[in-house]
Amino acid sequence: MSKTTQITELNSNPNVVLFLCRWCSGKGADLAGTSRLHYPTNVLPIMVNCSSRIDPQHVVEAFLEGADGVLITGCHFGDCHYKTGNYKTFRRMALLSRLLKQVGVNPKRFRITWISATEGAKFAKITTEMVEDLKKLPPYGKNGKGGDS
Amino acid sequence: MVDQKELINAVKETVSREDVRYIVGYEEGTYGFETAPSFAYTSDDARKFIFNPLCTKNLVVYPILEEKLPLKREEQEDDRKIGIVVKGCDSRALVQILQEKGLKRENLVLIGIPCTGVVNTKKIKDKFPNQTEYTDVKEEKNHYVFSIEESVQKIPKKELLADVCKECEYPNPVIFDILIGEETEVETEPTYIEVREFEEKSLSEKWEYWKKHFENCIRCYACREACPLCYCKTCMADFLDPQWIRRSVDLSENTAWNIMRAFHLAGRCVSCGECERACPAEIPLMKLNKVLEKEIRELYDYTAGLDPEEKTLFGTFNPDDPEEFIM
Ligand code: SF4
Ligand code: SF4
Ligand code: SF4
Repeated sequence: MSKTTQITELNSNPNVVLFLCRWCSGKGADLAGTSRLHYPTNVLPIMVNCSSRIDPQHVVEAFLEGADGVLITGCHFGDCHYKTGNYKTFRRMALLSRLLKQVGVNPKRFRITWISATEGAKFAKITTEMVEDLKKLPPYGKNGKGGDS
Repeated sequence: MVDQKELINAVKETVSREDVRYIVGYEEGTYGFETAPSFAYTSDDARKFIFNPLCTKNLVVYPILEEKLPLKREEQEDDRKIGIVVKGCDSRALVQILQEKGLKRENLVLIGIPCTGVVNTKKIKDKFPNQTEYTDVKEEKNHYVFSIEESVQKIPKKELLADVCKECEYPNPVIFDILIGEETEVETEPTYIEVREFEEKSLSEKWEYWKKHFENCIRCYACREACPLCYCKTCMADFLDPQWIRRSVDLSENTAWNIMRAFHLAGRCVSCGECERACPAEIPLMKLNKVLEKEIRELYDYTAGLDPEEKTLFGTFNPDDPEEFIM
């Protein structure tokens, strides 16, 4: 549970939990750093070996523990270190996103994207975009669940 | 209507077989409009078996729930078959379990019943609130016939039919060993009209709707126990380390439970409606299940519980899966 308590301690507005896969997106994020690209400090990165490690439960858990948004990143189709992991992630997360939408969670709060090791600029752009989008919405995690508009 | 005699004879014959241990079917319940599960170990027990529109329960949970006691020394495992009386949706639940290798086909005997829909018992209870004794219901063309205190009442089928049955595409068992009676004609195509209408609502309306319901959840897990496909040895809701869902009964934990329960049945739920029937808080759980069913059909052209040899939804992928939701 230590990870999840950190979300509330982050105390930035909005809080975004960011899942990175070790082989592509993680390296993309590194590249953004070494290229001195600016991206928001609102993101709490969690590195996993493959995007398919992320269980829908983790996403729900993040929201429960005070995240305002969850961003999942992985390798592009065909580039997965484990060959087919990201295809499987995608099926799951696409369905989870539809389900969350039907319960009233704004789709802007839960996104998925593919970032390769060379796409540091894309990483910076997407995290900025997501945080900007979420700034326009009321806080989700801390002030009562749901109630999105 | 299912011929009662034909059913009893089939059960008698099957249970007398050397290689069959017992058969689970339906018998008259002890009050109101409820039927109860019935177990036949001898051909004599088969007398009690019935089938009518009150037989709502999905009996496929029984072989799954069966406790396997440790064997005594020199004792042989009883590997005789278990018989189950199945309707269309029940048989699909079974196919799904076979697909997931939860049970083996050779350990089962299936007595299939072409279903013409079961009733919504809650609606009947509203109509006849004072009925405490078991009361039989007969089906006549488009009516249900109740004989209560010597008066006969006819109620249009549409009024009492369970919601899941209104859009049922597979009323005939997809797998069976013995079929009782003639196959039912299938007239319906699911329209998902309810899901579509709900989709049109704004996000806050949606949340208000679910909030009202999730607040009522008492986390009894009846929905899980009744579901033939919730057969994990340890449910994620029971894990202590890590504890995915806190045990406190409050809105946020209830929401997490209901979302995860629905999600764990994505691509597996066969729309038998047992979860919703079992829920004491009257939470419209099928509304969540149907969202996923519709999306899975539209996105991946996949329907659960049709072919035991097919791969599961999440065990497979297609490089051409629609990507519209990627940022
Ligand atoms: S049966 Fe209903 S009240 Fe019980 S845990 Fe399931 S949703 Fe909640
Ligand atoms: S989730 Fe409900 S409708 Fe689906 S298989 Fe389980 S009990 Fe039946
Ligand atoms: S809710 Fe999920 S983990 Fe629990 S029994 Fe059902 S499928 Fe298994």
